[in-house]
Amino acid sequence: MNILLKHIEYPESTELKGYCESGGYKALSKALDMKPSDIVDEVRRSGLRGRGGAGFPAGMKWTIASMDPKKPKYLICNADEGEPGTFKDKPILEKNPHLLIEGMAISAYAIGAEYGYIYLRGEYPEAKEILEKAIIDSYAAGYLGDNILGKGFKFHLFVYFGAGAYICGEETAMIESLQGKRGQPRIKPPFPVNEGFLAKPTVINNVETFANIPYLVEVGAYAYMKIGTPESPGPKLFSVSGSVNKPGVYELPMGTTLREIIYEHCGGIKDGKKLKAVIPGGVSTPIMTADTLDCPMDFVNLPKYGSMLGSGGLIVFDETADLRKVCLRITEFFEHESCGKCTPCREGVGWLSSILKRMCSGEGKPEDVELLLEISKNILGKCFCALGDGAAIVVQGFVNNFRPEMEGRAGAQA
Amino acid sequence: MITITINGKKIKLNKPVTILEAARKSGIHIPTLCDHPMLEPFGGCRLCLVEIEKMPKLQASCTQQVTDGMVVWTETEKVVEARRAMLEFLLVNHPLDCPYCDKAGECDLQDNTMKYGPAIGRFKEGKRKHPECYDDPIIVTNMERCILCSRCIRMCSDVQGADAITITNRGNKSYVEPFSGGRFDCEYCGNCITVCPVGSLMSRLHKHTYRPWYIEKEVETICSFCGVGCSFVAQIRGDSIVRVETRPDLGLNKGLLCVKGRFGFDYTVSSARLKSPLIERNGGLKQTTWAEALSHAAGKLKEVKEKYGPAAIGAIASGLCTNEDNYALQRLMRSVIGANNIDSTTGFFYGPAQRFFEDIFGQGATLNPMQGITNSDGVFVIGADPSAVTPVLGLQVRAASRKGIPVVTVGHMSGLKRFATCSLNPDAFSEPALLNMLISGLMKKRPVCGENIFFEDIIKKFMLSTSDNISDACGLGKSDIDKAVDELNLMTNPAILIGRQVVQRSDASVLLLQLSVLIYLLNGRIYLISELPNDQGLVDMGCQPDTLPGGRPVFSDSMRKRYEDSYGAEIPSAQGMRLMEMIQAAHEGKLKALYVMGENLLLNLPDTGYVKEALLKLELLVVQDTLMNETAELAHVVLPACSWPEAEGSYTNFEGRMQHVKKAVHGEAMEGWKIISEIAKIIGVDWDFLTVVDILAELTKVSPVHKGITYSEMDSGNCLWPYNGEPLRDIAKDFVLPDTKLIKREKCSGRSYLSADQQLFHSGTIGRNSSALNLLMPASYARIGSALNEKLSVKTGDTASISSGVKSAELDVIIDPDIKGMMVFVPNTAADKGALSFMKWSMNKDFKNPALDGNEIEISKLRSKAEEVAA
Ligand SMILES: Cc1cc2nc3c(=O)[nH]c(=O)nc-3n(C[C@H](O)[C@H](O)[C@H](O)COP(=O)(O)O)c2cc1C
Ligand code: SF4
Ligand code: SF4
Ligand code: SF4
Ligand code: FES
Repeated sequence: MNILLKHIEYPESTELKGYCESGGYKALSKALDMKPSDIVDEVRRSGLRGRGGAGFPAGMKWTIASMDPKKPKYLICNADEGEPGTFKDKPILEKNPHLLIEGMAISAYAIGAEYGYIYLRGEYPEAKEILEKAIIDSYAAGYLGDNILGKGFKFHLFVYFGAGAYICGEETAMIESLQGKRGQPRIKPPFPVNEGFLAKPTVINNVETFANIPYLVEVGAYAYMKIGTPESPGPKLFSVSGSVNKPGVYELPMGTTLREIIYEHCGGIKDGKKLKAVIPGGVSTPIMTADTLDCPMDFVNLPKYGSMLGSGGLIVFDETADLRKVCLRITEFFEHESCGKCTPCREGVGWLSSILKRMCSGEGKPEDVELLLEISKNILGKCFCALGDGAAIVVQGFVNNFRPEMEGRAGAQA
Repeated sequence: MITITINGKKIKLNKPVTILEAARKSGIHIPTLCDHPMLEPFGGCRLCLVEIEKMPKLQASCTQQVTDGMVVWTETEKVVEARRAMLEFLLVNHPLDCPYCDKAGECDLQDNTMKYGPAIGRFKEGKRKHPECYDDPIIVTNMERCILCSRCIRMCSDVQGADAITITNRGNKSYVEPFSGGRFDCEYCGNCITVCPVGSLMSRLHKHTYRPWYIEKEVETICSFCGVGCSFVAQIRGDSIVRVETRPDLGLNKGLLCVKGRFGFDYTVSSARLKSPLIERNGGLKQTTWAEALSHAAGKLKEVKEKYGPAAIGAIASGLCTNEDNYALQRLMRSVIGANNIDSTTGFFYGPAQRFFEDIFGQGATLNPMQGITNSDGVFVIGADPSAVTPVLGLQVRAASRKGIPVVTVGHMSGLKRFATCSLNPDAFSEPALLNMLISGLMKKRPVCGENIFFEDIIKKFMLSTSDNISDACGLGKSDIDKAVDELNLMTNPAILIGRQVVQRSDASVLLLQLSVLIYLLNGRIYLISELPNDQGLVDMGCQPDTLPGGRPVFSDSMRKRYEDSYGAEIPSAQGMRLMEMIQAAHEGKLKALYVMGENLLLNLPDTGYVKEALLKLELLVVQDTLMNETAELAHVVLPACSWPEAEGSYTNFEGRMQHVKKAVHGEAMEGWKIISEIAKIIGVDWDFLTVVDILAELTKVSPVHKGITYSEMDSGNCLWPYNGEPLRDIAKDFVLPDTKLIKREKCSGRSYLSADQQLFHSGTIGRNSSALNLLMPASYARIGSALNEKLSVKTGDTASISSGVKSAELDVIIDPDIKGMMVFVPNTAADKGALSFMKWSMNKDFKNPALDGNEIEISKLRSKAEEVAA
């Protein structure tokens, strides 16, 4: 599988020259000869689903935004990749920046946006330099600017550097942040596609989602759909970390099983240990037990196993992992990153982590695990955005799947 | 039509609203915390969750819009459980210090927890610590109690427009903090305190002095600080006001207040409060009885009248006093003394401006409802910063700007700086040049249409006459002017706000005519920025030397007859003296007695040295006031009048709205109108006013506009001009064109001029007696811009010496980079160093008001703050 990461094998993949030599910017040229609405239709037909975590059909977003009469329209790339375990956008940003620029330029043409922003994670300073240089080069070569490729299409692209808040990866908080405000999610509706950046129609997609666009436009929806599964078509980047022999980012078709990823591509568990658990899609997806290895990694099958595809950031734990500590660490992350807007997330998640901290320091009480479940239940479904709910289902996942260990009765400490 | 069902009850709605609104309208209570009627929905506290059929998750009713056919349940087990959970969460980091917290008893968190919360808390771990903060003189913050509902932030940013506070940090470490650190250094409107549901933002002024349930009485009344006339509820304990509170649906301020209204009311109990009558004896003021004071005043008045004639007596009325007091004073002058010598400082700006516009556009032309500003399609402001002198009016301009309505301002206006789409800051005194360019530019785009031939004729003649005399030099570039003309040209029915500075100058009539032309071209609605609570009342009560109550001209025989019949006395037909004419006459020895009610002449008149000389020459100076002041110190008789919360009465605001001022506490002094009627009686005229109701009854009988008004009509909030009466129709057509040569000036640049600073924290006269307001602005200062500071090179806090032809003094300097050119701004809040005390004046020949333009001032550095600290 080599679509999203194709160019990075070429020398100087970040350079415009290297990118063009390996076939880059052909899709843009092709797209500019198409009708914008045809591109939107093509994306809709392809069934491409957002790669940022929620899996929302990209074509649907584009359709709504392009039909909104308000002008101007904006395009935002979500490059805030801030969830622990997720680092799949990084190789595109750092090694394949022109693929993103090309994808965004095509998308902008399709929905009628004249301005685009890449909201880049504050902890990716290298990517900032690379992207900024790539943008300058693209302007010089006529892939960005007032008259792209001489075809009368105008698109300007800017990099906006985040300040380190995970919540700014949530699309409406990202818009607030871009507008210079405190990063907190907005009330929906109105959705960004109708009233987003500066209250104008705005499409926000993930880096990887945009990276799919050039190929999709080049080969067309029909060929694109041959990759992956019918409900989750296309290639997918999986970032694998934890106790595997070859951690890293892998491009594989949607629907590749956990087993194949861990044992074929990542060379199995480190030091020949036994697999204990997997977090399949970044820390906001529930942890899974070792007997779920045959689950295909896609939007439809993971929920059947009690989890979610999320961003595709796998974290693999072997038999020696202390899952209580893992659960505490993840909960502390959510506590730290809760924006504080809504009560259950702000106060509830902090409460969860203080209980877990006590449990981990040997001061746990028998009723603690039940209390964790109670609090999680009180958080779940009542939060303003998905961050708080995510924290709750994660704790539920740990308790439900590894209750004896969470209760301190069995486990890895031994 | 949308139909929804809440708890089985069918509700029909014309437009989509939130579930919460729909529920409230039909009397179904849903508990809330972050929602507030004055603010946009937020959706943070999650207390208002409800169950909606066909939706898997509970939804926040404050943000969820209704859709047709929606079925909502607000009391299911799931909802009740969720509510309990939210309250349990909110107490996780709460210090549970209700016994010590002033908010207890009126705390939304406490009330909701009692009603819906868990019986016991399960949280055992350590809580967030954040000590109560006393860095600010007015606002105490306690961030351990904060539930992060963001109501304060939304109020400060989205309504007040001050953007002074924010939430710092993230998640459960968040807290509210002013951008400036510990001290708020903000506009101190206190509106954030109003909306804080818990004891996190509290007024420091009454901290730990009482509990909400100790409030003995609540009185809805009208603020005594400015001409907006905000409503609030005065809360009384032990016969004193402990706090004023607003209600989102009360009055035209709809829950908002400014710093003066909210915190300044303690002037009424200041140590300067006059309690017993004083009489001058052996060169000093001594306490005396009412009987002696009144008979002395009355006897002397009678004596002066007999000796020198009625024209040797004058009276100064006051925009701080009620209609009833002012009506009584003019009645005393006209029917008992027999002179039209009655005026007030309202005659410096408000009165003449109104008269000028009424002569062109008809009576009542300046009386427009305040909400018209946010419903207009443009705003033009000149002559005063409404966000400083009439702050709640300023909020309307800010709200208009936030709605995307273009706002054009002329002159230095810090409070509107971030809200103006176009700020024009011309050179000193070059407004006529600027306005001429705006008018000519606009007339090219919008030729006159022939609607009012009479006025268009004036415009033509006027524009011809200006072309010789008005230069194009106002220090602004062509592009600025073009942009302003384009903005103005977008407007079809704008609000035109006009303040004092365009009238207190020698070329006032030119400026007013230019503004009239602009108003005509733009089809504008006029708003006069009324700085005193009863400017309009003074006009309406006949406290002008040329008008009778109801704004009828004194020279009109038929009108005079109407009043003469009612008063049983003859009223002279000749216009009386204006305020500055009375001072001049006193100085010349022609005016012998002056009755001053509620006015500190030695603070609010220019060249106070001259005024003092004039007052010292009087045979009788009667001062009727509530507070001891520099003028009262010179009086022969001082008569303590009831202060604003101590008496019933009414004010008429800048919209022409009569509002009921209610007695909230008892006072030791006498009602103002009563003092006057006692004097009338001693002089020998039988006045039978027993209460203010009798005065209002007489007014409504004699004044052709004030027909049948009652206090309960005022209480309804809709007692608006022309009340039930008839406005004057026949407007004088013999309009005299102002002399445009007036505006030919030598170039003013390079010289420093003094101007009165528009103070948000103070109103001078009464405000300087409020200890709360003095905390915010303890001393006078000189505010200068960067251009002047290039010469001076001082820093904020350094001391400078300033001197004019009439006075010199030391003042601390504030550097304000927004000030253009060489202007020096000094507030008029301290009698010894007030701006006016430095000013020379000349008599404006059209309006007989003091022209204060061209007051050159010398300013030089005296010492730096560092030296002062070292010394
Ligand atoms: C708390 C939170 C954090 C998020 N962080 C990211 C992120 O880092 N990157 C991302 O692409 N999407 C993130 N999302 C999802 C975005 O809100 C949004 O769904 C996504 O950018 C849409 O793009 P897509 O449809 O291409 O996936 C986050 C969502 C939430 C609730
Ligand atoms: S769930 Fe609430 S507090 Fe948490 S991040 Fe979202 S809005 Fe902020
Ligand atoms: S007092 Fe007024 S200006 Fe100051 S912080 Fe509160 S709302 Fe803002
Ligand atoms: S200080 Fe008060 S109003 Fe402001 S966020 Fe906290 S609880 Fe809400
Ligand atoms: S009142 Fe609805 S969330 Fe706070």
